[in-house]
Amino acid sequence: MLRDITLGQYYPAESVLHSLDPRVKLFSTLVFIITLFSANNVILFGFVLITLVGIIKMSHVPFSFMVKGLRSIVMLLIIAGLFNLFLTPGRELVSFWIFSISDVGLKNAVLMTSRMILLIIGTSIMTLTTTPNQLTDGLEKSLGFMKRFGVPVHEISMMMSIALRFIPILIEETDKIMKAQMARGADFESGGLIKKAKNMVPLLVPLFVSAFRRANDLSFAMEARCYNGGEGRTKMRPLTYSSLDQRAYICIGIFIVVFYAAKVIL
Amino acid sequence: MSIIKSKNLVHEYIRRDEEGNVESIQVALDHVNLNVEPGQFISILGHNGSGKSTFAKHINALLTPSEGTLIVDGMNTSDDEFTFAVRQTAGMVFQNPDNQIIASVVDEDVAFGPENIGVPTQEILKRVEKSLKMVGMYKYKNHSPNKLSGGQKQRVAIAGVMAMEPKCIILDEPTAMLDPDGRKDVLQAVHTLNKEKGITVILITHYMEEVVDSDYVFVMEKGKVFMEGKPREIFKDVELLKAHSLDVPQVTQLAYELRQAGVPLPECVLTREELIDELKAAKASGFTPNLSSLVEMEAENNHFTGSGNSDTSKENVLILDHVSYKYSPNTAYEVKALDDVSLSIKEGEFIGVIGHTGSGKSTLVQHLNGLIKSTDGVIYYRGQDIYDKDYDIKELRTQVGIVFQYPEHQLFETTVFKDVQFGPKNQGLDEKEQIKRAYEALGLVGLPEEFYLASPFELSGGQKRRAAIAGVIAMKPAVIILDEPTAGLDPKGRDDILGMITEMHRKRGDTVILVSHSMEDVANYVDRIIVMDAGKPAFDGTPKQVFAHYKELEKMGLAAPQVTYVMNDLKNEGMNVDASATTVEAAKASILKAFN
Repeated sequence: MLRDITLGQYYPAESVLHSLDPRVKLFSTLVFIITLFSANNVILFGFVLITLVGIIKMSHVPFSFMVKGLRSIVMLLIIAGLFNLFLTPGRELVSFWIFSISDVGLKNAVLMTSRMILLIIGTSIMTLTTTPNQLTDGLEKSLGFMKRFGVPVHEISMMMSIALRFIPILIEETDKIMKAQMARGADFESGGLIKKAKNMVPLLVPLFVSAFRRANDLSFAMEARCYNGGEGRTKMRPLTYSSLDQRAYICIGIFIVVFYAAKVIL
Repeated sequence: MSIIKSKNLVHEYIRRDEEGNVESIQVALDHVNLNVEPGQFISILGHNGSGKSTFAKHINALLTPSEGTLIVDGMNTSDDEFTFAVRQTAGMVFQNPDNQIIASVVDEDVAFGPENIGVPTQEILKRVEKSLKMVGMYKYKNHSPNKLSGGQKQRVAIAGVMAMEPKCIILDEPTAMLDPDGRKDVLQAVHTLNKEKGITVILITHYMEEVVDSDYVFVMEKGKVFMEGKPREIFKDVELLKAHSLDVPQVTQLAYELRQAGVPLPECVLTREELIDELKAAKASGFTPNLSSLVEMEAENNHFTGSGNSDTSKENVLILDHVSYKYSPNTAYEVKALDDVSLSIKEGEFIGVIGHTGSGKSTLVQHLNGLIKSTDGVIYYRGQDIYDKDYDIKELRTQVGIVFQYPEHQLFETTVFKDVQFGPKNQGLDEKEQIKRAYEALGLVGLPEEFYLASPFELSGGQKRRAAIAGVIAMKPAVIILDEPTAGLDPKGRDDILGMITEMHRKRGDTVILVSHSMEDVANYVDRIIVMDAGKPAFDGTPKQVFAHYKELEKMGLAAPQVTYVMNDLKNEGMNVDASATTVEAAKASILKAFN
């Protein structure tokens, strides 16, 4: 099940988007989210949608791969859609038994779910075209100014990249411990909610112990290699903007101007 | 000038209670004095808990002395000012390959060290390339470490240290978790660094074969250096080493025993070639051994092999009928882990399963209790199809017990006793029976009673493993499978666990399947060997039959026990010996006979 989540997964391919600086992608994703939520009519919404389709085409990531990421949130989408549909007051369109659908409700439901879908697809394009390491590098550098306010930006990004490194290892470990306990007759499937939770103890305790042991080992290994926080650290591949990134920023600028001009005019 | 010099080095682990009062003091290093010259290849031996890892951490300034001094390349490690300079001079590689790789891409991980010490970007790229080439991992530079084998990961870790351009590299049991192929590659890389780059190497290990080529050896016990010298001087004293829970290479053991039987051999023989030459010389000198000792030994030998022969009248417990298994079937990643395997396993057999990593041996044994369901083929347990929809798979799991690799990682209860009770409890037995079972099982694995109510996390490595094995035995399985039960243990721990398994097999008469990398272990203990290669059983027979194919085994990344090679060499040299001997005892008897 854990393997099905595409959100946060990298898809290796050669494309303009793959070679962009992660900071450009982070900024453009932010712009995309803001415009997506400030698009309050069909034309503006269509404008954002067309731009997104263009970007999807540019990414060289199969569209089916992005849609897979939606599967895990289908339930959430349905619930959010239904709440909007039935619980928004307004001019009544249809009503049966205790339910009624208003015009505002219908509009909100459609807008809400399509926004959510676009949001997921838009952000997953960023993660699909950026390696986790580039992403944390990008975050560290773009949020570097927050260090002045006492936010440990370097430490947070180091923690993120270590977490990403150990997720597959811990998944494998979970599988191994599960099998070992099943061989001792443990049952992880049957029973009610409470029984199921209780049955997880033989899995979770060893998993935590192992995670702590690994953390301890890793801290020694990092210290042995002279790790001493972000001060005075250099980079093998420092982030530098290329002309491609500059052009991308210009495009984003044009997009913002066009979008807000259209918003004011309409 | 020596690169590492320790003087009366003491380290104490102090345990404090919640108020900060000292609860107990454990002396890990007790006045250690030793010197290492630049360019030397040093080995440190010692059983688990002898203080060798603690010492290694001192050289890297990860720990600092409680008393005494340690000077690394002219710098006192107790001086905070030098901490990072010391770590740069003396790099360290740890045991677990997974827990020391920080980045998600190989080259980024190698760059981690240079980045930390502020090396300029261009220089980092150069160093990363150079270091990866040194250990032969350059072509994997863009890979994810998760896709590499254990030996490859360890070589990446070595490259990560080399990229900091140290003068000295400390390896703390770097091969303990690797298979024979991975071990060979890692050691080769380390030797190259020592010979070609003049890097001082300090290798901490349990494997005696790895020590033979070093310049100087330190043997530690109870935090003290209790022996030191050239390998030849150390391995001379076989009895003393054994008394201190250590071991000698198999060739040395054989030479020692032959010498005890009167064969004129030098005091210490380290390599195969040496032994062959010496034996040839002894033969030429016209030596004949004392016959009475030979007769005595023959009788002992016959007794030894007599019980081992598998009885053809016994019933089949497990039958595999054309079993195949594919990982991720019908995708691009499809891997055939088992390929049309047909086998039968008889009641009471003691079987060894060998094969290199990825040969399908773990997949095979996990089929036997239904943890993995085959994609094709049928498995019968006592004549019943285990894939039949009416078949009780939970019951099968109590009949066929699996002890996984590093079984101590599955311990979870508050006390050892409760943990062992877990299996019987899942079987639905009543409390009284559960306690009885747990008590019996703990007795069988030989865990001292004072540990029954201790937390499993407080035990030592070997004791934890015993407790974990008891957890499976308590279910009273008719077939017990052990996947690498000796992985990561020291020689004493290894012999104890294997002895315990054999003893249990003898007492209970159960069927035992031992999955192992160690040819010597398998040859010493089992009656039948199944060799897995590319998802298929390549050989299946007695140790003698299987190891006769040692040339084919080598092609599969395996090997025969060292003595088998010695015997084959002797035969090629024209001596009339039994080339199929697989144990030291058998080899000794056969060589002595050849002298007559």
